[in-house]
Amino acid sequence: MTDPVQNETVSDRNSRLYDERLRRYVTAMRNGKPDRIPMRPFVAEFAAKYAGYTCQEVTHDYEKAFAAARKCAADFDWDAVVGNMVYVWTGLTQAIGLKYYGVPGIDVPPDTGFQYHEPSEENAFMQPDDYDALIADPTAFLFNVWLPRVSSDVAPIGSPATYRNNLSFLKGGMAMWNYFMGFGRQVDLLRTESGTVHAISGILKAPMDILADKLRGYVGLCMDLHERPEKVRKACEALAPHLLHVALSGADPQKNVPITIWMHRGCVPFVSYKHFNEIYWPTLKPIVLEIWRRGHQTLFYAEGKWGAHLDAFAELPDGSIIYHVDQDDVFEVHKKIGHKFAISGGIPNVLLSFGKPKEIREYCKKVIDSVARDGGYIMDASAIMQNDMSVENMRAWTEFTHEYGVY
Amino acid sequence: MTPSHPLYDAMISGDAEAARCVTVRTLAEGVAPLSLVNDYMIPAMEDAGKRFAAGEYFVPDLLIRARAMKTAMAILRPLLVAAQIKSAGRVVLGTVNGDVHDIGKNLVGAMLEGCGFEVVDLGVNVSPEKFIAAINERNPHIVGMSALLTSTMYSMKTTIDAMVQAGVRDKVKVLIGGAPVTRQFAQEIGADGSSNNAVGAVAVAKMAMGLQIESTAGVYWRTA
Ligand code: B12
Repeated sequence: MTDPVQNETVSDRNSRLYDERLRRYVTAMRNGKPDRIPMRPFVAEFAAKYAGYTCQEVTHDYEKAFAAARKCAADFDWDAVVGNMVYVWTGLTQAIGLKYYGVPGIDVPPDTGFQYHEPSEENAFMQPDDYDALIADPTAFLFNVWLPRVSSDVAPIGSPATYRNNLSFLKGGMAMWNYFMGFGRQVDLLRTESGTVHAISGILKAPMDILADKLRGYVGLCMDLHERPEKVRKACEALAPHLLHVALSGADPQKNVPITIWMHRGCVPFVSYKHFNEIYWPTLKPIVLEIWRRGHQTLFYAEGKWGAHLDAFAELPDGSIIYHVDQDDVFEVHKKIGHKFAISGGIPNVLLSFGKPKEIREYCKKVIDSVARDGGYIMDASAIMQNDMSVENMRAWTEFTHEYGVY
Repeated sequence: MTPSHPLYDAMISGDAEAARCVTVRTLAEGVAPLSLVNDYMIPAMEDAGKRFAAGEYFVPDLLIRARAMKTAMAILRPLLVAAQIKSAGRVVLGTVNGDVHDIGKNLVGAMLEGCGFEVVDLGVNVSPEKFIAAINERNPHIVGMSALLTSTMYSMKTTIDAMVQAGVRDKVKVLIGGAPVTRQFAQEIGADGSSNNAVGAVAVAKMAMGLQIESTAGVYWRTA
């Protein structure tokens, strides 16, 4: 038998690998059975550590973060990765004086991953009496009220424009342009340097999550759900079209890789079933349906425990989402919705970071034997992998998935 | 039996303003501060905790009750202190170095306070040095640490090790918690106890104080 890949050039090899991996990854996401289980680890600070950078270095210089992700992609035989999971860039946060990020080496120790500061209830970026303005015109509210509050440089509307204010828009615009253009090139380089697929494209947040994460804060939102639930619902409805637009504007034009929704506060025990059923889900579901109607899948990155809401998710059309398991029981999830949607993750980070290679192999074998048996599974950790993830375990996990994950 | 009193009702409905008014009024009527705490506030928070553990209440339900509790407590605390009434125990609480997750820690703090403990909250990103300084300055019975990231859970070990180094480890009981924390991990790093929820946190704090508890669900306590 002749080996078809003999004498292959590097570029031929990478383009062959890319095609194989894309097919494998997309087949699994469409709940089909590829040649073997695709692997798509969401590596963040792990990539920095592996490439020999501190968290500070990759946060300050996105070229280093990109290089680290590409080094991982080249050294480990993974099907898909994200171009940079340490997505905060100091250049951009400083250009407009963003208050809500803690940057390694500045606000937090140099080898701690970046942080997100949620202000106290009293200092929330949006106050209870701002609801009407947000509901009336979300864009105007964000530009006129929210932006000056989250930036130390942007002058509030009505106050004199300062030199810093003017510069912040110039710097911020340039920084954003540079960084986001960098992502396009990164996607290309992943393909040409190592034949790796960029795992996701386009970002979605549930309307209620945006309210909690970036506007009212979680505690504020809890008070609002108690005191003014109707305003919360209206605000979510008002935000929905904007969130749909943002998601679609970043989507993969080829419609291969999914838009990702990072799901934060809609699960047990964050909100009650009533609030999930009356606010969270009714204002999110139409967005997911519209994304699907336009031909894109959504990756439900279901942080925490969402098992109580699987029946609601099962209302979505077959194949419209890929369900990522964090703290849910991956076997139960598979039983309940595996016939409708592909599943990813469900391998606990504590096991991956601190377990023995043997324990990792045993656990993955169980998941592969049951959840991945008929395809429709993408290997990943339960949560984002930071610099606690061990390189040795990463190798063992990757090798085992390739060996044992062949169909 | 559920106690019937407007303060209990205000706590159960999470009405902070009513809790404040009732507290002021009842005190003026001559009711002892400690009896308000023991007879109405603690039962109300315990009831909320039980419902949370049973999956009937969610975090927002606890938060609004905690707010009512804190409003009343702000009035009662100075009176209790002036009367030299001892709390169930003093707890220094914080989220460890490198970690800013504090929703769980705050709930634990609120439940402890609502169940008669005095809580000194050091906030988030708390270094071993800060924990040690707080032990020296505040003389707590218990140090509670929270971590939500696999990358920060070992800060708990670093902190315990630093406490040993500084010679203060034996002055306190160390309790830990947060999503990635398991009983094995608690054992491995030499903590005295742990729990995976706010109700269990109160139970394990009571165990640390040698008090009686009803249930040990979700609780780890070091034996021997
Ligand atoms: C809310 C949240 C945030 C918020 C935190 C806001 C805040 N003020 O707390 C924000 C947006 C800031 C955030 C940031 C990040 N987060 Co986060 N976050 C979460 C989320 C969604 C919920 C955590 C939570 O509040 N749980 C609810 C509370 C009630 O539960 P709990 O904390 O476990 O507490 C209970 C028990 O554990 C126990 N307990 C807690 N403490 C204690 C203490 C004692 C003494 C005892 C006895 C008991 C006890 O009682 C509590 C009450 O019942 C989780 C996912 C999830 N759903 O769990 C991710 C998660 C924890 N985050 C994660 C990550 C990766 C991050 C970031 C690194 C992301 C990033 N790159 O931006 C940053 C890191 C910031 C930092 N350095 O700390 C990962 C962790 C992965 C890992 N490897 O461990 C998770 C699991 C999400 C995921 N699947 O990827 N996050």
